[in-house]
Amino acid sequence: MQRRLPIYLLIDSSGSMRGEPIQSVNVGLSAMLTALRQDPYALETVHLSIITFDHKITDLVPLQPLETAQVEDIELPRSGATHMGEALNHVCDCVERDVMTSTADQKGDFRPMLFVMTDGSPSDLMEFESAVKRIKGMKFSEIIACAAGPKAKTEHLQKFASQTVSLETMDSSSFATYFQWVSASIAATASGQQAGGAPEDITLPPPPAEVQVVL
Amino acid sequence: MVAPFYQDHFFFEHGSFNNDMLKIRGKDKEGKWFAAPNNQFKFLDERERGNWLSYLQLCLRLSRAVRRLHAAGLAHSDLSYKNVLLSPTTGQVCIIDVDGLVVPERFPPEVVGTPDFIAPEVVASSHLEKTDPNRALPSITTDRHALAVMIYTLLLLRHPLRGRKVHAEDPGEDERLTMGREALFIEHPADASNRLSPAEAKPTELPWKDPEALPYTITGPYLKELFDRAFMEGLQAPRKRPSADEWEAALIKTVDLIQPCQNNDCAQGWYVFANTTAPQCPFCATPYTGELPILNLYSQRGDSFRPDNHRLMVYSNQSLFAWHVDRTITPNERLAVDQRSRVGYFVQHQGRWFLVNERMPALRNAQTGEDLPIGSQIELKEGLQLITGKDPGSRLFHVQMVNG
Repeated sequence: MQRRLPIYLLIDSSGSMRGEPIQSVNVGLSAMLTALRQDPYALETVHLSIITFDHKITDLVPLQPLETAQVEDIELPRSGATHMGEALNHVCDCVERDVMTSTADQKGDFRPMLFVMTDGSPSDLMEFESAVKRIKGMKFSEIIACAAGPKAKTEHLQKFASQTVSLETMDSSSFATYFQWVSASIAATASGQQAGGAPEDITLPPPPAEVQVVL
Repeated sequence: MVAPFYQDHFFFEHGSFNNDMLKIRGKDKEGKWFAAPNNQFKFLDERERGNWLSYLQLCLRLSRAVRRLHAAGLAHSDLSYKNVLLSPTTGQVCIIDVDGLVVPERFPPEVVGTPDFIAPEVVASSHLEKTDPNRALPSITTDRHALAVMIYTLLLLRHPLRGRKVHAEDPGEDERLTMGREALFIEHPADASNRLSPAEAKPTELPWKDPEALPYTITGPYLKELFDRAFMEGLQAPRKRPSADEWEAALIKTVDLIQPCQNNDCAQGWYVFANTTAPQCPFCATPYTGELPILNLYSQRGDSFRPDNHRLMVYSNQSLFAWHVDRTITPNERLAVDQRSRVGYFVQHQGRWFLVNERMPALRNAQTGEDLPIGSQIELKEGLQLITGKDPGSRLFHVQMVNG
């Protein structure tokens, strides 16, 4: 079987995203899907999963090939907590269940990539701390966290992310650039992953000017 | 400033099926779209696909472009289906992204190449410093590997080294070994450990991902020999890899072995006629029925005519060209304008095969000595021998008739 490149997107859907932010995320996600489908490499290898988290976790798109993935608009609860820890644990469960590892006579999938986006901070701190430990043991090739808007706390994200970026404003143009960057990163990895080259040859495109990289 | 400009046929006119559901209309025709069965048969609009003859033509033009580049001492260094635009419907090719050009002694290589096309020695030594003498870098010989992979992939829609064999548990390490030190041809006759397993392929990927059903030998004897050199002997011995020139010559001869499929609905439309007792189309399994004339080409060496290892499989309305009647003429970019139009054609009429002489002033029957002037029709029969002219390069055609 063709080696798959599993991509997990974890998106904050708590009440604070209401209004322009969540509208922009919805637009950004469908633009990302369109862009990825126009890339013959991504079309061949990428499998996408989108999970939203507020006080509960929803599998918006279960892991599936790009061609069948349909993104519905994300609906927000009126208020409530941001269960990021539970969400990270859920991603780990999904990876353990869905991603095939190599055996002696069967090639497994590529290492999955994880993108996390939030505008706040985890409200389930206990579970968050244990999820951080667990996620480090999972073989993600990249974990990219995005802190959207002024209230997002990067210090939590930096605990598990291999790269953290922040959006200063939560308007449609900064979300649009962010999702363009995400799809460019996925596409670059998709064409790179069919690789024979050394892993250092596979480099993500630099984040666009509006996105700040937190070192 | 010079902005790149491509002709219209390098942009999708129809795009993907279902009224362009992928929204790729107007985008450039990156080679990858045509090099994977899923992309080609599941997504692309039928009108964008072309047939198997167009892919032979694409490979021929690609080899020609690379040959020119290499003849100038240049290496592209990042030859891949990402860096060529293909137009199967017109058979045109455009190599792009020539920013990695390597000029020996002047411009050293900067890129490693695109995965899938990087030569095994480059993959296997990529962990070393660039200044390390054991580090292999892109060059004309690595371009030759990339060209061989591209031709194989375009004609057979699968990667020659990407089989089922697992080399390491870690996917990254496994990829490095698959393409590098442990690289193994998926159709290696003596080592079946890297065969593709068709059971794991999706329905749209068959028969392409089933080398038993569609072995590389369907590309004919000339290309088979070069694939053997590229993916067996030359895999770890860069200097044994066939040159772009050899690919071009083999592709020219292969075009003469091609036959139209007798099934009008065959998606590929054309195939290399194999020398078997029961020839059939390898793509749709339609058997060849009827009588097929074959012209074996000989040319004069000293006092006798010797075989040129070149045959022409005849089909109705097929053309005979200057490079068939004179061995000193090669069909390439240097061909004179008056040599580009046909000198004769073949036609089947009431069950009999004829060659119509249009521009061969000195054509004659070798056995009877009879002149066959321009405008005459010569019936093709088993054992007929024709001499095409009086020049030193003139050919002798020996006709064989095959019954399917």
